[in-house]
Amino acid sequence: MENLIRIDNLHKSFYDGDAELKVLKGVNLDIHKSEILTIMGASGVGKSTLLHLIGTLDRPTDGNIFYEDQDITAFSDIELARFRNDAIGFVFQFHQLLPEFTALENVAMARIIRQSKKNKTDNETTLDRKDAYETAEHLLDSVGLSERLSHFPSQLSGGERQRVAIARALINQPKVVLADEPTGNIDDKTSEAVLDVLNDVNERLNQTFIIVTHDSRISERAKRTVHIVDGRIAE
Amino acid sequence: MKFEWFVATRYLLSRRKQSFISIISIISIVGVGLGVATVILVIAVLDGVEHGLRDRFLANEAHIALRLVGNSFFGNYQDRIERITDVEGVVAASPVVYSQMGVFQTGNEGITDTIYVKGIDISQEDKVTGFSQFVNGSIDFQSSPLIAEAELREGETITGGIVLGSRLAQRHGLTRGDVLRLVVKLVEDPGSSGSPMLLVDFSNFVVIGVYESELAVYDNRIGFIDYKTAQKLYNQVGNVNVILVRLEDAEMAPTLSPILEEAAFSFLEMPISTTWLETHSALFAALKMEKVATVIIEALIILVAAFNIASTLIMTVMEKTRDVGTLRTLGATRGNIMRIFIIQGTVIGMLGTIAGTVLGLGLCWLLSTNIIRPSPWIAIATIVILILCQIIIAFRRLIPFPKALKISMAIFWTITVCFVLYCLVKPISLKELGFSEIYQMNQLPIKVNWFFVGFINLLSLFICWLATIYPALQASKLNPIEALQYE
Repeated sequence: MENLIRIDNLHKSFYDGDAELKVLKGVNLDIHKSEILTIMGASGVGKSTLLHLIGTLDRPTDGNIFYEDQDITAFSDIELARFRNDAIGFVFQFHQLLPEFTALENVAMARIIRQSKKNKTDNETTLDRKDAYETAEHLLDSVGLSERLSHFPSQLSGGERQRVAIARALINQPKVVLADEPTGNIDDKTSEAVLDVLNDVNERLNQTFIIVTHDSRISERAKRTVHIVDGRIAE
Repeated sequence: MKFEWFVATRYLLSRRKQSFISIISIISIVGVGLGVATVILVIAVLDGVEHGLRDRFLANEAHIALRLVGNSFFGNYQDRIERITDVEGVVAASPVVYSQMGVFQTGNEGITDTIYVKGIDISQEDKVTGFSQFVNGSIDFQSSPLIAEAELREGETITGGIVLGSRLAQRHGLTRGDVLRLVVKLVEDPGSSGSPMLLVDFSNFVVIGVYESELAVYDNRIGFIDYKTAQKLYNQVGNVNVILVRLEDAEMAPTLSPILEEAAFSFLEMPISTTWLETHSALFAALKMEKVATVIIEALIILVAAFNIASTLIMTVMEKTRDVGTLRTLGATRGNIMRIFIIQGTVIGMLGTIAGTVLGLGLCWLLSTNIIRPSPWIAIATIVILILCQIIIAFRRLIPFPKALKISMAIFWTITVCFVLYCLVKPISLKELGFSEIYQMNQLPIKVNWFFVGFINLLSLFICWLATIYPALQASKLNPIEALQYE
């Protein structure tokens, strides 16, 4: 299977004054295209830390992360932001939707950010915005929320919010979607529905997912599961 | 609309959940607005006073006075005046015998007052200072019928007629036809005993007219007589001691005065020239000082308002911490985040500045426009009715409150406030306040200085922009992971 991400001897330590807390102690992991990989492990073992490093939200203490042979640990802050925008989608436990924006605007936001990076005329901006909203509408439709486009997050249920978050993660056709406990904050029935959406997207779009979870139902439906034990991967 | 504007304007307009912050933004806008409005108004008043005084000074004052050192007399003045009027930019010049005399009142043992006496040639003086338009009464110094009448009545020799400053005449209880005895000079008398004595040289003048320039400086202290009479009194026939000059442009006085000195006098005569600006330099300097002080104070007021903006933004940043985290995961750079908050603060500053400018200019207009206003009671009644309406609407709030109604209420309130201001703000009468004598004006003068309005707008925007930098920088420095976990 074609490799998408290669993680090479990844270390991450946190410092509290002089005290060093080693969280990741040499993680090696290959992630393949179009797979759903779940990362499991006890609380505080470093699952989320690993996800943040893969998502370029944090930098490793040592080691490298390659996206299709491109070493992202060497990127500058601005390059990382651009890379996140283009190549990575995030789904969080607490959906993290922007409360002042409608479902449609929330989904379109990453596309709007991408478009704003170039010098454009007003006309081009209008066309861009139209394109962003059309794509967002299509995605919301595909997660079953075509009736909820102009609703604000506070007007949506937990499951609906999480589906908006999934749609948002997909807007720029990322290489990978990183999900941190995507069902951690919703009831069982809703979780099933959200997982159905994830599976559906994976199958239809060949979208790669990395999911950090405690939820064994997710790992059952995943194509591959790895465990983190003592800062290292145990498959 | 760019991404940063899209987010910033939404934060600014959004009122759900954080209506507290919305209120603080409104307070910030009002703060900046009041600062800008007051500075525009105060400077307009100061400028108005300065221009009012200038106009008054210039209406009855020569632009340049030429004399010799020691106030000594000089001859050939007609030639000199011709040479002066040949200079480009000069409108007219007039000869003057300028002196101080003592007022001697019968019944008093000594000199009770000193006054400035200008001996003038009316035909030429009018071209320079417009003298006769300020005189109430006769200007015929030699043959006014009042002179002959007084001579008969008093049985004394009358030297000629005098036009007295209105306040001066009032002070001494003199009206037209009264005789004023002036001490012209002291004469040394060798005396018979050998020790010299000083003799007082009197002259009697008949008040033929009253001079009213509305400038206390002149009306209090000055009298006008014929220059030929003055020349005789000082034994200086054919000589004068001052030449007054009027220019096309009063502002050219400092430039032209050395040229005129050279044209009229030789270097050895040691000429001195005084421009109208120098005569009133202390007053103009005081006004300038006042303006500088006002600008500094007002800049401080705007600074305080800017602190408001900074605290509003700091609170917004705290409230939006999770949003900042989310936007960073979506690919927004630190620069994007910084710009969002800078835009938000700058828009607050801009709205405040625009509102303040409109309010300031509106007040200037109201304070300078003499139209009969509706009674203040109408304004009060309007406000009371509107407040009652608002209370009724507030009680019915249980029903959904349509957005259109909110907007129309806001427009209605704005119109009402404008109407109330229109009813209540009128030109301030200095006469009623009893200041007209001090300021020599009847109405508080207003003059909008457009250059300054532009300057204060830019200054206010700059200060508000500056206030956004720190909060925006803090927002951009947020660690996205910590921001996402922020509760």
